[in-house]
Amino acid sequence: MKTLTGAERLFKTLQLQEPDRVPFFEAPNRQIIERILPGSSDDDVVEHFDLDAIRVDDRKIPGYLIETLDESHFRNQWGTIVRVTSESTPHPVEGAIKTEKDIDTWCPPDPDEPWRYEKLVELVKRYKGQRAIIASFADPFNVANEVRGATAHYMDFVKNPDLVDRLAGLIRDYYLRYIRNCIEVGADIIFISGDYATTKWPMLSNEHFAKHVIPVLKALADEAKSRGAYVLKHTDGNIMPIIDMILDTGIHGLHPIDPNAGMDLGEIKKKYGHRVCLIGNVDCAYTLTWGTVEEVREDVKRCIRQAARGGGYICMSSNSIHSAVKPENYVEMVKAVRDYGKYPISI
Amino acid sequence: MSDLSEIAESLVERDIVKTEGLIKAAIDAGIPAGEILNKDIVAGMQVIGEQFGDGEIFLPELLMAGEVAKAAMKLLKPLFARGKGVKDSTGKAAIGTVQGDVHDIGKNILIMMLEANGWDVTDLGIDVAPEDFCVAVRENEFQILGLSALLTGTMPKQKETIESLKAAGLRDKVKVAIGGAMCTQQWADQVGADCYATDAAEAVGKFKLLVQ
Repeated sequence: MKTLTGAERLFKTLQLQEPDRVPFFEAPNRQIIERILPGSSDDDVVEHFDLDAIRVDDRKIPGYLIETLDESHFRNQWGTIVRVTSESTPHPVEGAIKTEKDIDTWCPPDPDEPWRYEKLVELVKRYKGQRAIIASFADPFNVANEVRGATAHYMDFVKNPDLVDRLAGLIRDYYLRYIRNCIEVGADIIFISGDYATTKWPMLSNEHFAKHVIPVLKALADEAKSRGAYVLKHTDGNIMPIIDMILDTGIHGLHPIDPNAGMDLGEIKKKYGHRVCLIGNVDCAYTLTWGTVEEVREDVKRCIRQAARGGGYICMSSNSIHSAVKPENYVEMVKAVRDYGKYPISI
Repeated sequence: MSDLSEIAESLVERDIVKTEGLIKAAIDAGIPAGEILNKDIVAGMQVIGEQFGDGEIFLPELLMAGEVAKAAMKLLKPLFARGKGVKDSTGKAAIGTVQGDVHDIGKNILIMMLEANGWDVTDLGIDVAPEDFCVAVRENEFQILGLSALLTGTMPKQKETIESLKAAGLRDKVKVAIGGAMCTQQWADQVGADCYATDAAEAVGKFKLLVQ
């Protein structure tokens, strides 16, 4: 088979067909980049490791944090006070909607402001067709968790479901527009992050997911698909009790198949591999963090063996290349995906 | 639920108005606050903990039950303060998220569950340095110190905190419990913790055994 571009490789994989090799597009946390390629930009990393896609997360775009409160605390575009740490995503410490009445005066941001898309436009000009262009953002369920405060938001599902739906609706409408704008400027893939589950169970009952969360995900997926983009959904945790309803939204890819939560890549491939592309599962809790390079190679081989035949598998970590991952293990992972991921799979 | 008291049942049903009404009536009838805590609140929260552990209820229902228990405790607390409740707290614990980690939902759920089970809990907050855990242990009479860490990258701080307690001569003063999504019993053994639990409900049971 001829060598495909990164974009072609990903699209074919998401169409559940075998490309030339198993795709990989996971860039490391900033701290790891500094240890592997000091002084490099995110784009340099994508080129150095020849990643098949480049991702722009709306939370990392300058302008997402709208007000500086002190050296580590900021107000983000949703009015949530967040604390910036060494991890990739700032952590919410205080929501904007403290009482039900607050929602009456709460204004979601304007999705049509052109600065939101400047980085995306730049990447489209530079990489379109060569590498897939991914626009990512947090699931409205998780944004609402931050805007309302996690404890209050969870309790709203029982005490005040109308507030749950009203808040989710406002955030959904922002992202429907955001998706449309991203695709118009050239995004190929919409990546919706944000967890639905703990390592043990989903955070909500099936009924609450079905009524309040899944319809929002489906609306976003429908919007992206109707405009010709692929849709990936990330959620950590044990999502087996709700996996069918997640897949029924029509997403193309599911990430990161969390082994720490008992998500069995081989079993999920057998049961759902004909419906969705599986992404991830290389253990970043132990193997990439504490393991040896030999253990990393073995884990990559395991994942490819369990999920790559027939296409529909993107080999990445089980969450992210966070600040505790050994840099040499990330480098080994990239190498191992290339070494063992050539089609036809022979391991 | 047939063996549960009416108050415990209304807590399990997460009915705040009914629970408050029943507790007020029990207090008026002269039932000691300690008895209401143990026979009703703790018994009800035990059922809630089991339901959460078995996947019968989820975070919203667990947190709502915590709200009901909190409202109940608010009615009982003045009686304990005036010495009319007889019963002291189940135990005294301090919980904090380790240095470098700012995640607090797991910690907060555990605190809520412990308080609902009659524990006197001090919330040490997030991003707590090992030396600050040491200060808290030195200056207080906690029976259990809980170290929460969600991230793989911050789990070593649980170990560092335990080592700091040892270096400060405080390790024998307190039992140490660890928790967090990535923690395991193996990790607890490795770092020398006295206790590990997979979730808040399990932790409540294990904490009780630790102080018996």
